[in-house]
Amino acid sequence: MKRLKTLCGAVVLASTVVLTACGGSGTGSGVAQSGGDLVMARADEATSLLPSVPTDNASIWVIEEIYDTLTVPDQSGKSVRPSLATSWTQSSDKLSWTFHLRKDAKFTNGKTVTSADVKFSIEQNQKSDAPFSFIDTVVTAIDTPDPATVVFHTKKPWSPLPADMALYANSIVPNNYGGKSATEFAAHPIGSGPFKFASWSKGSSLKIVKNTKYWRKGTPHLDSVTFTTVPDSNTRATQLASNQIQINEYPSNSSIKTLKAQPNLTVSMFPSSEIDYMSMNVRRAPFNDVNVRKAISLAIDKKAILEAVYYGHGTLAGGFLSPTTWAHNESIKPVPHDVAAAKAALAKSSHPHGFTTTIMVGSGSQDSSSEAQLVQGDLAKIGIKVKIKTLDPSALSTAKHAGNYDMAFGLYTTDIVDPDEIARFAGTYDGGSNTLYSGYKNSKMDSLAATASSSSQQSERKAAYDQMQQIIADNVPYVPLFYVPGIYSYGKVKGFHPAATGNYFLEKVQLTK
Amino acid sequence: MLRWFARRLLLAIPVVWGVVTISFFMMHLAPGDPARTALGEKASDASVAALRHQWGLDQSMPLQYLNYLKQLVHGDLGTSVYYHAPITSLMAQRLPVTIILVVLSAILTMLIAVPLASRSATHPNGLAAVAVRLFNAVVQGAPTFFIGAMLILFLGVRIAIFPAGGYPADIGGRAWALVLPALTIALGTVPIMVRGLRAAMIESYGSEYVAFARSKGLPERPIRYGYVLRNAGISGVSILGIQVGALASGALVIEQVFAIPGMGSMLMTGILNRDYALVQACTLVFGLLVVVVYLGTDLAYARLDPRARLS
Repeated sequence: MKRLKTLCGAVVLASTVVLTACGGSGTGSGVAQSGGDLVMARADEATSLLPSVPTDNASIWVIEEIYDTLTVPDQSGKSVRPSLATSWTQSSDKLSWTFHLRKDAKFTNGKTVTSADVKFSIEQNQKSDAPFSFIDTVVTAIDTPDPATVVFHTKKPWSPLPADMALYANSIVPNNYGGKSATEFAAHPIGSGPFKFASWSKGSSLKIVKNTKYWRKGTPHLDSVTFTTVPDSNTRATQLASNQIQINEYPSNSSIKTLKAQPNLTVSMFPSSEIDYMSMNVRRAPFNDVNVRKAISLAIDKKAILEAVYYGHGTLAGGFLSPTTWAHNESIKPVPHDVAAAKAALAKSSHPHGFTTTIMVGSGSQDSSSEAQLVQGDLAKIGIKVKIKTLDPSALSTAKHAGNYDMAFGLYTTDIVDPDEIARFAGTYDGGSNTLYSGYKNSKMDSLAATASSSSQQSERKAAYDQMQQIIADNVPYVPLFYVPGIYSYGKVKGFHPAATGNYFLEKVQLTK
Repeated sequence: MLRWFARRLLLAIPVVWGVVTISFFMMHLAPGDPARTALGEKASDASVAALRHQWGLDQSMPLQYLNYLKQLVHGDLGTSVYYHAPITSLMAQRLPVTIILVVLSAILTMLIAVPLASRSATHPNGLAAVAVRLFNAVVQGAPTFFIGAMLILFLGVRIAIFPAGGYPADIGGRAWALVLPALTIALGTVPIMVRGLRAAMIESYGSEYVAFARSKGLPERPIRYGYVLRNAGISGVSILGIQVGALASGALVIEQVFAIPGMGSMLMTGILNRDYALVQACTLVFGLLVVVVYLGTDLAYARLDPRARLS
């Protein structure tokens, strides 16, 4: 749930293959050059550069450029590859993982990255006030037998650990923050990543410069990157058109066609784990009736919403795990729009003649507002009268967490490449969101999630995740609507290709002439 | 004069206290949990509860209010939960930007409005007066953000004289970047100013002292600047004073459109994230700004028109 705001655009593809095929490669026209300052305009500003603190993408994607993690997600988002750790193995009793660190990685203060730094860093994210502490609670102890070896002991057999170690919140900082307080360190962060922190003018821009001693030789190509904060999508688009910036994060849907028509600009859509959904509160009548939920799912014309709101840039969702994860269940197809079947389902329910309900949308999101109106129209056809209630995003989030709503839109993304995090978040009651705020409780889902995370056989894990997706599809506590990729428009840039988890990998990016 | 000013200053205190109190209760009564917003969707309920306790949000509302007032008396504006930084340091970065923007807008307003009003007052039935009226109608009818977008399109992209948005690191770049947003805000105020000034100038032209000056054979130019504009300026000052208050709110939208890191965009971020301390501090500072501007207006008015001091 890194994304706090609804994406302006949504270009969605059916599978990773299709996504890659249809999406841009991040290769702009022109000859790649070495050096230069890349300016990227983003809608939101970073909030903190201390890895264990923020939850917003604006911070996360900068943190990933400044710090290293033990592992990193690969481009497809299906697995992890070595980073600070060159290899890792699980013990024969499955209760510990040993990571071997590379010996040539140094922090920008010149100190070598050691196992003591790793231990300290992970322990920071284990503190109860760290928002992503839940990822590391499975780790019971961390041993550092030598400076290049770290051993994580886990409560139970835990397959997702290598993927967990690629999480931004598990970025490696110097032991004891290099003798600074956390606040002092956050103001002048030190990492071992491809770029190092240079300056931050709050509200305006954040600059990172090339780490000339980066262990991965030959990168980065850029001299520096400047992230500017430009909330208005039109302003970002005009800045790009006037070559004031090189990359526009999240162009609005409505601008994509125009942007594509401009010869010097590229619009690219990258595979993302984002799924947009509509949740129903099963704790309340009539949503406690599965026939009502099925009727609603059948009555919504998702394709029409996709065309009208997202300008056709998207793919209808089936299973609740994104096609960017290997655990995606391809056999679950999107629920078709079928008014007759919806009426039949409603007729079997406790409210055969319909009822009146509300749908909550976040203020400031034109997309959500339009979606709500279309849903309102669709449900009216089967006798369900929907009132639209608009709330501030913060108030909406609180209402959803408190279970104080009937229906609401939302989106989720995964933070790690292993399906475990999102399978629990969107599939189990105790996974953080009470099954995407629906309040749907099913002990079978908990045991399947537990089986999947403890097994080291991918086929066994996949079977469990397939079953979880089928249970959600059968019981419809929420309607997965669309699989949504990340959209960027850019000018003279080559090699820009974010991962499914959002990592920019800016060390690979070059400006072109 | 000093006593008069001191009285005005004392009267400002309840106004500021009112602003502080109203903003406090409005923010706290609005739904939305800052701890949940700060920790994100995936944080556990226990973590959120712990943070609420740490921030004192689990205390009763009157107690929170008293604590807030106590904090303010000590000059502490608190810590922003969104930016994870002391608000005073954020203010130090943001406030000057907004003040410069508002001052620049006020200057531009005067630079545009005075000649337009003057021209249409001296030739009330001429073509220029019709053009000014048309300009007023169009500019006043268009929303500020639309004017901003149009200026970006033409002067930022087509002709590309000014940046389309943003706030560069260098001083020169910043000055240049502020022109379009200041012009946008100014254009929102110009029609009101032109109308007020024009009416006051026409009234002045019809007054006995102008007739007397003319009868003495004084040329038209000194009459316009020495008599008419000077007297009309009194009403101009009050209009500008009121408008500067409105300019501050205009900054809220315009800073978003032009990506200017001022108080307006910070306040907007604070509201959306339920950053109580930040919103309260911004509201307080905006309130103080308006009070200071009004005091300044009164002072200028009193200086220009001694009758104001007597009343």
